[in-house]
Amino acid sequence: MEPGNRRNGGLGWLGQAISGVLLLVLLGLHMVAHHFVVEGGLRTYQDVLDYIRDPLILVLEVAFLVTVSFHAMAGLRSVLLDLGLSATQERWVTRTVTALGLAMVIYGVWLTIALVSRG
Amino acid sequence: MPSVDSVSQGNGDPNTPSRTAGRQVGRWFSIRRRSLGMWGFVLNRVAGLGLVFYLMLHLGVLSLLTRGPESWDSFVGLVRHPAFLSLDVVLLAGIIGHGLNGLRVALIGTGILVRWQRQMLIGLGALGVVLLIVSAVLIFTA
Repeated sequence: MEPGNRRNGGLGWLGQAISGVLLLVLLGLHMVAHHFVVEGGLRTYQDVLDYIRDPLILVLEVAFLVTVSFHAMAGLRSVLLDLGLSATQERWVTRTVTALGLAMVIYGVWLTIALVSRG
Repeated sequence: MPSVDSVSQGNGDPNTPSRTAGRQVGRWFSIRRRSLGMWGFVLNRVAGLGLVFYLMLHLGVLSLLTRGPESWDSFVGLVRHPAFLSLDVVLLAGIIGHGLNGLRVALIGTGILVRWQRQMLIGLGALGVVLLIVSAVLIFTA
């Protein structure tokens, strides 16, 4: 919204715009595939396993995970930076959201591998 | 403080770094000097924070899958209750609002559709309302 935001430069804003547009597609697919074409609105355990064994779905879901984690953490960071923090506090915020984002992706990939490798 | 003119054109910068935290956030909800563009800004922030919270919750809940079919399937049974379906509608409202408003902001901010701001606001707003109504009906009937 605010390309002029001094603290969160033009590049950060562009990153949010690009990942945001990607999310319109990836989240749209995610919602339709998981909740609107499925009887009862949610996949059962066996349905989930069958679903993520499809290689194309796997790639799309991991792409979604990475994009949404980035977008969420970059967005959280820019909300926090707007509070008017000191330079030290800003560095701390950046490190924290980066660590959180990485943790989300690693956890999601771990979960996916654990489920796909199941019988 | 940006001038009223610059805010009403959607180019205002409400993020003047010298502001104190309380006044900054307080300003999101200030009803004075409020333009549609500023409402859009507040909508995106509030919905965005809500969605970050939901994302964490969602990822956490998925760990039930590692505990086997009973765990997951009983959770699925629980969230099919109408109370949870109503929360799904709230979630969808947040997603649709944040997504379409974000698209609007991206198209204006990159300079692609600056001249059609008003038309885009009306068009995307209408699309969002239709999408939400259709999905709400699907959630409760399908």
